[in-house]
Amino acid sequence: MGAELGRLVLALADNKQLLGLRYAEWATRSPSLEADIAAAAMGLDDLGHSRVLYGCLEPLGEDPRGPERESDPAGYSNLAYFDRPWEAWDEFVAANAVLDTAFSVVIEACVEGSSEVLRTRLRKMLEEERYHFLHGRSWLRAGLEPAYFERAWRQASAFFGPPGREIDQLHEAGLLSRGGAALAARLLERLELDAPAVVEIDWKAWDPIRRRLEPGGIDTATFDMMRGLEERRFTHV
Amino acid sequence: MTHAFTRVHGAVREYEVFARKARAEPLRLVGSVVAPDDDLAAAYARATYDEERWVEMVIVPRESLITLWAPGAQDGG
Repeated sequence: MGAELGRLVLALADNKQLLGLRYAEWATRSPSLEADIAAAAMGLDDLGHSRVLYGCLEPLGEDPRGPERESDPAGYSNLAYFDRPWEAWDEFVAANAVLDTAFSVVIEACVEGSSEVLRTRLRKMLEEERYHFLHGRSWLRAGLEPAYFERAWRQASAFFGPPGREIDQLHEAGLLSRGGAALAARLLERLELDAPAVVEIDWKAWDPIRRRLEPGGIDTATFDMMRGLEERRFTHV
Repeated sequence: MTHAFTRVHGAVREYEVFARKARAEPLRLVGSVVAPDDDLAAAYARATYDEERWVEMVIVPRESLITLWAPGAQDGG
């Protein structure tokens, strides 16, 4: 199960890297100065978390990252929610409340699982994530367009995956403390929500590596920036 | 999940932020934040004042502080 665990950790790392970048894009656009600062701080946290998660890949076994990541935005295992910059504050709130918390419940399941690398390295992340959670839940309670919540919930469900697949197998092997259904229940419990309307998912379109339903990948500007190409444009030769 | 869209919270209050770097030190006022509820105030305080290695940080609603005297008040200051 080492390869499956490595791919799950890579998906967490890629999503947290993109989540951090998207948070940071709102550091001067949020509704208040406090929320600006929180967006910047949460962005830094999640970029830091992604580095810790990438650092776990080698100790877990073979690093699943291939050379395609240098040229293909679809080589990243991020949810479609992070493919493009967010255009509305509600998109930020849905990502903060639903997706950031979804990643946290998976990380919690890793910390409570049997992998010593994850048990020791990911614990501090959960302490920092407490404040992301308080921020997201409070803004969620303040009001959110339902379409943004539903989109985020659907993608969180895709991240947990269909019944019987990798996350359930990792749970059965003891590497995660919860399976997919229990992770979804934990997410609802943390957000203090009743189950949202049944989200019909056509799992035939699900990509088990990228843990998402939609094709496509990160927008060109973000992908270039992640590879350092934006900075190189300004380098004097 | 349907609520009216609220870009800026209507009712907010001020919270004072106290922290200390060592157990031997007393808590001291390091700043304030404005938020509609305790949760968001905690998230804002941590994001705004987490630059130093505090061993403790607490927040208190400004309205919960009881003023004994203050600059310009009749009986003191």
